[in-house]
Amino acid sequence: MAEPSTRDVAEVMRDEMVVRDRITALIRNGPRTIPELAEALGYPSPEVVFWVMAMWRYGTLVPTGKAGADGYYRYRLSEEHPVPTEQVEASHGQGQP
Amino acid sequence: MGNGGSHYDVLVVGGGIAGMESALTLGDMGYTVLLVEKEPSIGGKMVLLSKVFPTLDCASCISTPKMAATANHPGVNALTHTEIDEIIKRDGGDFLVRLHRKPTFVDPVACTGCGQCETACTVALPDQFHYEMVARRAAYIPYPQAVPKKALIERHGSSPCSFACPAGVKAHGIVSLVRCGKYAEAFHLHMEDAPLPGCLSRACYAPCEAECTRGQLEGPVPIRLIKRFMVDRYYQEHPEPEYGPPEKRRGETVAVVGSGPGGLTAAFFLAREGYGVTVFEAASEAGGVLRLGIPSYRLPKDVLDRDIKNVTALGVEIRTNSRVRSINELKEQGFDAVLLAGGAMDPGRMGAPGEELEGVVDCLTFLREVNLGRQIDLDGKTVMVVGGGNAAIDPARAALRLGARKVLIQYRRSRAEMPAHDWEVEAARAEGVEFQFLKAPQRFLGIDGRVVATESLSMRLGEPDSSGRRRPIPVDGSKQTIPVDLVVLSIGLRPGTTPFAPELELEKNGRVHVNSATLQTSIPWVFAAGDAVSGPSSIVDAIGQARRAAFSLDRYLNGEVLGEAGFDERLPVVDKQAVLARSPSLAVRSPREKRELAAEGRARSFAEIEAPLAETEVRYCASRCLDCGGCSECRECVRACPANAISLNMHPEEEVLSVGSVIVATGFKLFDAHLKPTYGYGRYPNVITAMQMDRLLSPTRPYHHLVRPSDGKVPDNIAFVLCTGSRDYKVGNRLCSTVCCMYSTKQAQLIMGALPLADVTIYYIDIRAFGKGYEEFFEQAKAMGVNYVKGRVAKIDQVDGGSLMLHYEDTTERGGANQAEHDLVVLSIGILPNADALKLFEGEALAADPFGYVREPNESIDPGRTSIDGVFVAGTASAARDIPDSILHSGAASVQAAGYVESMRNGR
Ligand SMILES: Cc1cc2nc3c(=O)[nH]c(=O)nc-3n(C[C@H](O)[C@H](O)[C@H](O)COP(=O)(O)OP(=O)(O)OC[C@H]3O[C@@H](n4cnc5c(N)ncnc54)[C@H](O)[C@@H]3O)c2cc1C
Ligand code: SF4
Ligand code: SF4
Repeated sequence: MAEPSTRDVAEVMRDEMVVRDRITALIRNGPRTIPELAEALGYPSPEVVFWVMAMWRYGTLVPTGKAGADGYYRYRLSEEHPVPTEQVEASHGQGQP
Repeated sequence: MGNGGSHYDVLVVGGGIAGMESALTLGDMGYTVLLVEKEPSIGGKMVLLSKVFPTLDCASCISTPKMAATANHPGVNALTHTEIDEIIKRDGGDFLVRLHRKPTFVDPVACTGCGQCETACTVALPDQFHYEMVARRAAYIPYPQAVPKKALIERHGSSPCSFACPAGVKAHGIVSLVRCGKYAEAFHLHMEDAPLPGCLSRACYAPCEAECTRGQLEGPVPIRLIKRFMVDRYYQEHPEPEYGPPEKRRGETVAVVGSGPGGLTAAFFLAREGYGVTVFEAASEAGGVLRLGIPSYRLPKDVLDRDIKNVTALGVEIRTNSRVRSINELKEQGFDAVLLAGGAMDPGRMGAPGEELEGVVDCLTFLREVNLGRQIDLDGKTVMVVGGGNAAIDPARAALRLGARKVLIQYRRSRAEMPAHDWEVEAARAEGVEFQFLKAPQRFLGIDGRVVATESLSMRLGEPDSSGRRRPIPVDGSKQTIPVDLVVLSIGLRPGTTPFAPELELEKNGRVHVNSATLQTSIPWVFAAGDAVSGPSSIVDAIGQARRAAFSLDRYLNGEVLGEAGFDERLPVVDKQAVLARSPSLAVRSPREKRELAAEGRARSFAEIEAPLAETEVRYCASRCLDCGGCSECRECVRACPANAISLNMHPEEEVLSVGSVIVATGFKLFDAHLKPTYGYGRYPNVITAMQMDRLLSPTRPYHHLVRPSDGKVPDNIAFVLCTGSRDYKVGNRLCSTVCCMYSTKQAQLIMGALPLADVTIYYIDIRAFGKGYEEFFEQAKAMGVNYVKGRVAKIDQVDGGSLMLHYEDTTERGGANQAEHDLVVLSIGILPNADALKLFEGEALAADPFGYVREPNESIDPGRTSIDGVFVAGTASAARDIPDSILHSGAASVQAAGYVESMRNGR
């Protein structure tokens, strides 16, 4: 889960552009924590942190309220920036880089 | 006094708190000040901090008024994103300054700072202002309090792929759009530069891929196949173009001769400008080589038809079966200008006996018959193709598909000299084409006027000829007779320009003579492009030339001066080695295998050979792109910007000016925590630096809350390791960094406020709380529950779940080796000298102290003075200092500079 990521930071960050559609599709079905997303995506969680935080920064997702008892926030799609449905549908089953 | 440029009383280098304070002080005294900051915002590191010790004032709240005052002060000119190239002291005591303003690619006057470009941008890069904790975009506003709060674009130059494209197609932009799933946008981007994306995505030789930086690793990004996916998707969804003729109409009309890639491209760009364009095509169908030369197994004709619609939708009329025989006649018909793009389709002749026999044909005649679907039965026949270019491969492979039993290619030089692309040769060989190198027919033998055999000789290679290739020399006694049913000559295609010879200057080989920059011919209203100018070359070269010729033709009709200016505004190409050096630990990402129909099955069918990529593959392939140039030139920001502020064509601007005095306020560098490998920074996600912690605690933080970088969990047991990179001989810095004890204490207090349940431990050697109120601040932290442990941390290991085990030596009387587990570790990194300061001066050098800081020869009694008379230093450029001390020091430097300027004025 918290496997150290040995990949180049810039490379991991670039992958946001591919993986974000999959994250969007996942949280559309209900809020998820970062470890849950990591599990579903098959990526180390430190890499998922980069993508989730960038998606928060640019308004695609937001944490739901406070962190849970387990210490994790759950993320859902942001209401102000709904992602067009075509894009989400088109992205179902995206392959992993 | 100046050297042509403007003059300022004082130059301040560096726009951190020390630089701003100096500039404001001098400005208030009435001096003119030029402040130069290399980053896109003034503010230095202070504005990025959370709060400041010991008052716990919000750092950005107290910085921003200073930043605004500096930017708006009537006596201060603050240039951001600007670098000093050199400062030279002159005999008169003043200084000559050379600097360059780095392009931001955004017009600062028009930009409102709305951030829409950032949201649209398709390139994610590490955010340096968040110390790489989160990505920003290539188009970005440095941070919310930036002054000026204007967007800028990170561009290192042209990406190699885009730079390599002769047509100017922004390959990198297409790749980055496809990576984001923006397929239609990628298609539109292509259309801005070249109107035949379908053909290029099938039949281009892809110079972009040859230059791709990733080619130096596992293999290039398959740009052509990525394009093919985007085109197929778009054409599926849009069987017809989405646009009609442009609204802008011009009175003039242009005749384009030839409907190959060159003619179609020129017609497209001219029609877009509003000209009435008519294309004259001698053949019965439009497309030139695309239609008649390239077989459908490489370029399906429906793709070509759809590409042509991109051109005709603009109102371009294509007249087929219309051979132009005189250019002047076109003028008489009323055309205002002519663009010649008739290609090079006339067969060359070998001059060998028997060449006139039936069954000896030139390659284009043969391919034309094939491509226009005429019945040709080669069942069981033997076909010989003569030549070594790509034009030899196509007829050979087509002959196989028409049922030939045996197809052989004779080429008079060796494989090494063969101009055909390797992959084409290999594909032909796999399908069963036989290659005979160093062999050429000398004679064709016939019965009843029909060829039945060739008489070929073997060759050996002699000295290089004018083309630079080694000349083939026949080998005596090597004659060989080969029975054949059909001979296809693929040699020396020439432009069919003979009818124009009386009107137009031609080269000896029939090529149209042009000015290579403008592509204007000897007749001012006639321009030319493509193979008619360059001889047989390639689709993408023809497209590139046609674009250039259309550009010149438009200028001609506008009555403007012709020249290169305004056509090619690309930035210089980036250095691939620098790109690779930027990303030292890339994961191995193998390129997808190229998939084709199996050689045996495909060799008998005209179905398209190359299999398309699936969507998942295409995005995987695009994700291999290294974003070489930074910005990909996808132009999404240009489309998104409501203020029309973005211009990707800006270039650096150099300036030379003079100043009376200089204040160096270039600040400090932070210790690179990677240099303490036993602490695991860069390997363990939950080991971060204090600068990163200050960002996490600041109002403009990279994360929504204070959470761990390993998994987004709220930390509950945080450790600080003081003196990381300070007071440490092993890393070559024995100085105390002065601020780490206090900023760590500050951060500990802030964490206790944000996470009341968290434990915070500070590992220290001794606490240096030397300023006013500092000791109280330290006591306050202890009272809040911060745990201070006197001990030196030797090593950090990662344990389960991303937590960290600290191994430390207890340096109290108890002594001994200890360990403790924490779930987040902050390395309180030290302050180092910024060597940039010393590189500013040419001629008389600015002296450094033994540690590398700017030397103040009489630090205690003459603060701010440096080794060069008239040059002063402010803030952390000369020693580690906290903010109050930096401000005080700036005051000293400002007064010194004012004194120097006055003494110069008064002639000393
Ligand atoms: C983690 C951390 C926390 C801190 N917390 C506190 C605190 O709470 N309270 C406190 O008092 N101090 C604190 N400090 C110290 C404080 O950051 C410094 O005292 C202050 O930033 C020094 O200001 P400066 O202008 O000298 O340097 P800088 O802030 O480094 O500014 C120098 C500027 O010069 C520019 N520059 C450099 N070279 C060139 C060049 N060649 N041409 C043009 N421009 C150039 C740089 O881009 C930069 O903008 C902290 C330091 C750290 C590392
Ligand atoms: S052109 Fe594209 S990649 Fe470049 S800054 Fe604009 S949106 Fe980003
Ligand atoms: S890595 Fe990307 S930007 Fe660089 S050359 Fe290859 S495709 Fe172009």
